[in-house]
Amino acid sequence: MTNSPIIAENLVRHFGDVQAVKGINLEVKAGEIFGFLGPNGAGKSTVVRMLTTLLRPTSGTAHVAGFDVVKDADKVRRSIGVALQDAAIDPLMTGAELLSLQAVLYGIPSAMMKKRADELLERVGLTAAASRRVSTYSGGMRRRLDLALSLIHQPTVLFLDEPTTGLDPMSRLTLWEEVRRLNKEGTTVMLTTQYLEEADQLADRIAIIDHGKIVREGKPVDLKASVGAPTLIIKTNIDQAEKAKTVLSTFGDLRPGAEGALGVGLHGGATQVTDVVRKLDEAGVHVQHLEITEPSLDDVFAEATGYRLEGADNAPSAGDNGDEEPAKKKSRRGRK
Amino acid sequence: MNTATQLSAHISTDTMNHEKNLHTTTMRSAGQLIKRSLINTRRLPSAFIPTLAMPIFNMVSFSGTFFALTKLPGFPTDRSVNWFMPLGLAMGAAFSGVGLGFSLIRDLENGFYDRLRMSPTSRISLIVGPVLATWIRVTLVAIFVFIVGGFLGARPTAGVLSYVCSLVAALGISTIGAGWGLGLAFRFQDMRGAAIMQMSIFLTMFMSTAQVPLNVMTGWLHAVARVNPVTNIFRLSRSGWVNESSAGYMSWSNAYGGLIAIAVLSVLSLLFAVRSLKKIDK
Repeated sequence: MTNSPIIAENLVRHFGDVQAVKGINLEVKAGEIFGFLGPNGAGKSTVVRMLTTLLRPTSGTAHVAGFDVVKDADKVRRSIGVALQDAAIDPLMTGAELLSLQAVLYGIPSAMMKKRADELLERVGLTAAASRRVSTYSGGMRRRLDLALSLIHQPTVLFLDEPTTGLDPMSRLTLWEEVRRLNKEGTTVMLTTQYLEEADQLADRIAIIDHGKIVREGKPVDLKASVGAPTLIIKTNIDQAEKAKTVLSTFGDLRPGAEGALGVGLHGGATQVTDVVRKLDEAGVHVQHLEITEPSLDDVFAEATGYRLEGADNAPSAGDNGDEEPAKKKSRRGRK
Repeated sequence: MNTATQLSAHISTDTMNHEKNLHTTTMRSAGQLIKRSLINTRRLPSAFIPTLAMPIFNMVSFSGTFFALTKLPGFPTDRSVNWFMPLGLAMGAAFSGVGLGFSLIRDLENGFYDRLRMSPTSRISLIVGPVLATWIRVTLVAIFVFIVGGFLGARPTAGVLSYVCSLVAALGISTIGAGWGLGLAFRFQDMRGAAIMQMSIFLTMFMSTAQVPLNVMTGWLHAVARVNPVTNIFRLSRSGWVNESSAGYMSWSNAYGGLIAIAVLSVLSLLFAVRSLKKIDK
């Protein structure tokens, strides 16, 4: 067996008649940041919950930090840190109180608890807010506290389940920096995300999951290169869409565009744009919008699944300005 | 040596001595969970006030409304508040116990419980800590009920033992309620469990000698109350509040049935909670 800290073999999970995860195989190597990319409901969180011992696989095996997630669940728990999707923290407690509780749950001696908690609070920039109740924290602060809690026992493997969902761009950047820093210190990170940019920025390797199956896996740069040609995206009137498709298909393979748009992979490269525009004009197609993009993970996703990643176009970019969403309480029932 | 190095050294040693440290870790974890529970009680008093108010309401309303019961031949006390104060206390204790189930449902729904489940601490501490916190809350409720009961005219007939027996019965009922509440919360993981908790506790309590002694009951209620183990717990709870001449007065024979009922039902309900917790790991 290899020494990889995360290995899953033919991992399957059913919820009644629903097959949420359909035979996942993956291997995350020591010191990697591994991105697990997919839309809501694809099975990302279910896989993470199985790897973190919260859910038993219906079939298949998984080893984390060298231990079987079913047979040696306790040893797995001692080796991993987990920050789940909802930043599951008690709003009535303060940050410092939660860190104390977490330290005791992980068997850290009282003599070290305070110092370790102070170090982590400083690391995530929450020293000043340590004695405030978590209910007064912003979403970004909760995520950072969640990260600090997951690091209390210095885990060798860290699971981050959609760590930046709902965060403003600045909070997102701060968290990315912290993840990179942890990784440089030797922590293996498995990160689930529905944000293409996040996977592209952080992950050494990614796996794309769709409908419970891994449909692509590799380094982002290799995956993008595999798509090949740049994509030309146009928008036109709906009644001219069929005519436009006919023209575009003569320049390369049609690709799914965002809502209302048509895409084509230009086999001849970006220099074909003028030819495309001329042909569309000759065919009487009125082009309202035109853009050319180099291959992206979205193209990889679209090529692998036949559709664009849900919400990818709406996901705030780290360069955007925007207000942070308030932290929301979500029910866990029915999540896959 | 910095904290990180110290921690690494500790963790590797701790892993090797895991079995040896298990007991200490369990007790420390249980202690932290007690602390968390009490902090939450202090910071969210609205959740605790009903537990405090309900026994008083029961005691006042029942002893006032059913005052005439004391005139029945063979009724074991001439003070209705002496009879209904243990009922109020038992109700408060039962709902403190099942209240633990409500808190657990909240933790399950907002995801906090996943954090506890993902930690390597023993599963026993996840049950023991909150149950012990419930004991503390029930003791506070009991003190309050005894004080208000005293103002309303409740008088012990066996000195300090009267209070001790009522408190032991209340702690027992709260443990049974807590095990039952936790078990149902683990099984259902949502508010469906809460409805069953309330209904089952309410029915079990009132199909016993909660309101009147066995000797004034007739028909099916008498048959059910006679075999209902909660009847034994009420006998224990009231043994220091009935007349000395009464058959239910403080004696070993009136106490052991209640103690056995508490022990057996507590073990069964806590086993149900532990098994249900293990079930959600699957």
